[in-house]
Amino acid sequence: MTFFTVVARGLIRRPVRTGLTVLGISVGIAAVVALVGISRGFSKSWETGMKARGTDVVISNMGSSLIPKPFSASVIDRIAHLPHVAATCGILVDLISVENAQMIMVSAREWGGFSWNNLKLISGRMPHDATEPAVLLGRTAANVLNKKVGDKIQIETGELSVIGIVDGNAWVENGSIILALPLFQEITGNLGKINIVDLRVNPSTSAKDVQRLCEQINSLVPEGRAVVAGEHITDSEAYRMAQAMSWGTSLLAVLVGVLGVMNTMLMTVFERTQEICILLALGWKRGRIIRMVLWESAMLGLLGGVAGVLIGSVGVRILGRTPSIRGLLEPDLSTGLLAVSVAIAVAVGVVSGLYPAWRSSRLVPSRALQS
Amino acid sequence: MEKLTARAEPSLAKLNFNLEHFMNLQKLPVLRITIVAFALGLLTLSSGRPETAQAGTSAKDLAASLSAVREGAAYVRLRLEVKQPADTIKISLQLQVKERRTRTATDLIYQVLWPKERKGESVLLHKSGDGPSTGWLFIPPDKLRSLSASQMSDAMFGSDLSYEDVIENFFGWENQTIVGTEVLNRVNCVILESKPDKSGNSSYAKVRSWIDFRRVVPLRVEKYLPSGQLARRIDTTRVASDDKGRSIPADLTVRSSREDSVTDLDGSRIRHDVAYTDREFTPKDLPEISAPPSAPE
Repeated sequence: MTFFTVVARGLIRRPVRTGLTVLGISVGIAAVVALVGISRGFSKSWETGMKARGTDVVISNMGSSLIPKPFSASVIDRIAHLPHVAATCGILVDLISVENAQMIMVSAREWGGFSWNNLKLISGRMPHDATEPAVLLGRTAANVLNKKVGDKIQIETGELSVIGIVDGNAWVENGSIILALPLFQEITGNLGKINIVDLRVNPSTSAKDVQRLCEQINSLVPEGRAVVAGEHITDSEAYRMAQAMSWGTSLLAVLVGVLGVMNTMLMTVFERTQEICILLALGWKRGRIIRMVLWESAMLGLLGGVAGVLIGSVGVRILGRTPSIRGLLEPDLSTGLLAVSVAIAVAVGVVSGLYPAWRSSRLVPSRALQS
Repeated sequence: MEKLTARAEPSLAKLNFNLEHFMNLQKLPVLRITIVAFALGLLTLSSGRPETAQAGTSAKDLAASLSAVREGAAYVRLRLEVKQPADTIKISLQLQVKERRTRTATDLIYQVLWPKERKGESVLLHKSGDGPSTGWLFIPPDKLRSLSASQMSDAMFGSDLSYEDVIENFFGWENQTIVGTEVLNRVNCVILESKPDKSGNSSYAKVRSWIDFRRVVPLRVEKYLPSGQLARRIDTTRVASDDKGRSIPADLTVRSSREDSVTDLDGSRIRHDVAYTDREFTPKDLPEISAPPSAPE
């Protein structure tokens, strides 16, 4: 019988209790995977969307909302001439309820701006001009709205034609309805308003110069804030709050797991007092007893972590198919996040086992005779 | 009916507790102390929240502040779903609402934007002072008719709301009383009872509202007929901040005396201080579906 056989037998001896403890940890880890995965996925999909559009700097006013506040399109005139600026594109983005879809992204772009260039037609055609009452649908949006080329779509007060289905190389782009800026401004009563400026810098611009350009824009445009593409989402209050709540909720769930493992390991130590004392009498050192308890609790953590990662990954995929968020979120279930989640579970196991291990190390061989 | 934008409330994970484990925890002094400390920490946190409405606020002041939030010109986009029975969608509409409210008069337009077969159905309602509500109903392509006072209690667009429900401002009634307090969905609420004057223009004998005292938002409204029968219950299912940073009901669920019928209203956008012209609130302009006027730059 090896050391690890003793460890494994300790867990197998009470399968129901072990199973329930593993389930307790896995719920906490599943929460970490699902909530953190969703909030990271949100920012990552925006970042990918920005990269796909070839945007280097974004000017917007995120505030506490996930959709930036509108400002005058004249902002573009104030920044277009700045050094290192290669091109700009004014955009009006909104998250609205369209027909049967509860929420869908609408991205209205300045006609002729570079933000149209990344769109690859899957079917249909591009609009003829800025005034054509027509939209392009990202492929996920087309699926969510159940529309094809030639269908009509009611967006706010306008009935528009679906003239193309596009692939925008990013989840955010593919989940959007894309149309010309003047058209959307008119049907929403936002004439002359945009809420994002996509800015592309010259290829030779260094990171330091981009940073300096952002500072320069911030002094010229008080109604918005210039940040390097992708950071505008992580910079928003709403995102930071969602991220903090994700981690906070997950840590509460993990705390329950800690208490569960600690309780299980303490019960194990109490129940196996005689066995531990005999092992001590046979010459096992106290350090080895501590290691045995810690290995057991670490194993509980590992099993809970693996189960939690599986539950979280499956759960988040099911969640992503619900009608209210279908097409809006792409969870970031990266290997890194999954590995961190399992590592947290193992750490939870080890930490939870410290007190029971200490208790077991204080036992004396003579206790075996008393029971 | 106030409605709204942002959607970002993360849900809390629900955790299952194993009873046997919990009982075992009670036996361990260290863990017991941990749990008590944790519970005390939560209590301390929850008692530190700021209150916006003052404890001594009278019923009339409370009603006046609720009424004031609704005043002004606004544009609202919402989705209306009628479920009959409660889990089957019978009607699904995208609506736009244009409203202009002052202390003494209210003008309202509800227009169907979608689905296509009902697009253009519109209701124009007007109420001035203590006088009766008046209204017009337009059904495309060309049917325009006025709504008589007796038709004000009819269902609007087949929902569980009546025309009267959307035009009447019971927070503006003279008779307001605080009749108690109650915790509703873990929120401390005062119960405000509003009674109409004797002009007989309302079909309701009283309206009870459960007001979240902290955010000054009605979380439930119950409307009673003169017979004492509950005619409508309106529950706020989501509260959000409007474009002026004020808390307002964003999603509502309406239940009427119609059996097995529920109406959900999901607000997606609200814009205040919209510069409407008088012409927009006339029966002549009712057939036209137009975007709200742009805000000045």
